[in-house]
Amino acid sequence: MADDAPLRLYRALVKNDPAAAISVVEQVRAEGAEPDALLDSLFAPALAILGGSWADGSINEYVFTQASAVSDQILSFVTPPRMAGDTGITVLVGSMHGDSHDIDKNIIAAALREAGHRVVDLGADVRPATFLQRAEETGARIAIVCAQMVATARAVVRVREMFVSDGRTDLVLLVSGAPFAADERLARAVGADGIVGGAESAIRMVSHLARQRRGGGSAS
Amino acid sequence: MIERSEQVRLAESLARQGRIAPAVTACYQALRVNERDPLAHCLLGGLMLAEGFCEQAARSAARAIELDQRCAAAYFVLGLAYDRMGGLWDRSVLVWQQLAEVVPDLAAAHVQLGEALAAASFADEAIDAWERALQIDPREPRAMYHLAMAALKREGMATALPGFRKAGELDPSQDDFFFALAGYDAEGLSAAAMSDIGPGIKSQLRAAHAFAANDELFKSSELIRSILDGHSDDVAALSLMAYLYLKQESVNEAMACSLRALTISTKTPTAVYALGAAFARRPALAAHASKLFSALTTMAPGQAMPHVLHAESLLGLQRYSAAGAAYRSALALDPGCVRALFGQAAVALTAGDHTAAAWAIRRAAYHDTRRRGYFWGPYDAAAEGGEQ
Repeated sequence: MADDAPLRLYRALVKNDPAAAISVVEQVRAEGAEPDALLDSLFAPALAILGGSWADGSINEYVFTQASAVSDQILSFVTPPRMAGDTGITVLVGSMHGDSHDIDKNIIAAALREAGHRVVDLGADVRPATFLQRAEETGARIAIVCAQMVATARAVVRVREMFVSDGRTDLVLLVSGAPFAADERLARAVGADGIVGGAESAIRMVSHLARQRRGGGSAS
Repeated sequence: MIERSEQVRLAESLARQGRIAPAVTACYQALRVNERDPLAHCLLGGLMLAEGFCEQAARSAARAIELDQRCAAAYFVLGLAYDRMGGLWDRSVLVWQQLAEVVPDLAAAHVQLGEALAAASFADEAIDAWERALQIDPREPRAMYHLAMAALKREGMATALPGFRKAGELDPSQDDFFFALAGYDAEGLSAAAMSDIGPGIKSQLRAAHAFAANDELFKSSELIRSILDGHSDDVAALSLMAYLYLKQESVNEAMACSLRALTISTKTPTAVYALGAAFARRPALAAHASKLFSALTTMAPGQAMPHVLHAESLLGLQRYSAAGAAYRSALALDPGCVRALFGQAAVALTAGDHTAAAWAIRRAAYHDTRRRGYFWGPYDAAAEGGEQ
């Protein structure tokens, strides 16, 4: 990156010229600057010059405000995308039939979505057949079934039976909820491949499965 | 109209000094003189509640309400006593609803009503109550925290996080933290600092901080401008200006001022704070905010707030375990940190630990009620009304 790039960006800002500012960013990017480094190496130094010019009176309050508004417009060009990129992994999430608790399910679904996964939220009180049906429709290979009561947790075995009866042994069944957290044997008994302990655990497990799948040469 | 007896005045004075046992004795003396004195019953209830005797507190408050149905402080004592006893949510809801009817524009009543409704599993009604509290007082942080928690339960952290940040900005502790970082205590920010401005830069800076602390943002900005006209490289002035811009939602101006200050001196904690807070307002810059707040934990050891800010930036990065650890660090330094307790509740929810989340929320509500003196405000209003 040329040493005077922050100064050029600063000049574009005070001239109230977003196109010129974007052009400076694009030039720096074309010179090979890493996208993640643009904020630290270009944008921040330019803003520091802007702050200094306002402080020493080289520019007045009006120009400072205008330049700040332009800097806001180009911020998205120098920052990494807010959301993670699409991983291409589809995950079914739902609460077991007879279970209307949906807080954990909502948090897990939202966290997976923010992490870039394609989430199909089936809602609460989902019948076992629906998990299979939606897996076939969406091509999902991972299902997370939430259950907060012992009776509904035990009933998750019907989801696994449904998958097996249709020959879908490739489907990964993850379970979540207090009964499974309290007794891991229950998860094994219902045929689950793992226990999701919360949002962070869900992201970790799904990312791990995605890496495994990629390593095995098949995409979900 | 509530007349205050001499004994009640004595009890009040002792209670305000924290001398609980003699204050209780004075209350009983007041009741011997006049058993039908609602303020004496109310004050006795408040004292009992402060000492953790919830049943006695509830009895005294109920008697005060019986004698004066408009005694808002007594409703507070009764509602809080029911809340703390636990399992009495139906009664608690009723008390807070009555308080909301007695004093319709009291935001705290709606906040408490929402909490009681949430505990009784009326989630939608609870949200309505918190939204009402914010309509009455848009600067009510606890209602905002609860709405953020509700958003987390329904839609996840990405939706909830702006609510947590907003609640944090409304929480007075964050402003206090900035001024503490700048090296000012309550005396340094007093009215005298604003009226007695000397020609020296130190005096002007002190006054500028005092104006800022008292929400006189325009006067503070003018003073900083005059300081910078003579000393454009003054990092304290630049950092305060960044803080003022943040207060006015001018995030990029705040970034420019704080970055300029850090170019002059990288070891300016107020500039690190202001830049971190500016980055935190931009979701895409959560990682940058996290680095700065992490550095601030070292620059301001012994302070809970940098750990809280660090934790909030980690929430934005979906690093929930690390956020939980940062909240624990904050609570180790300040067990009553309301913002850290709400944050800890959010982390517990992401891990599916509802019991821990509910416990953290109750503790947050308890400490918030204590620090904001919910009892004395309505009590003083009732007592002053009696003197008119």
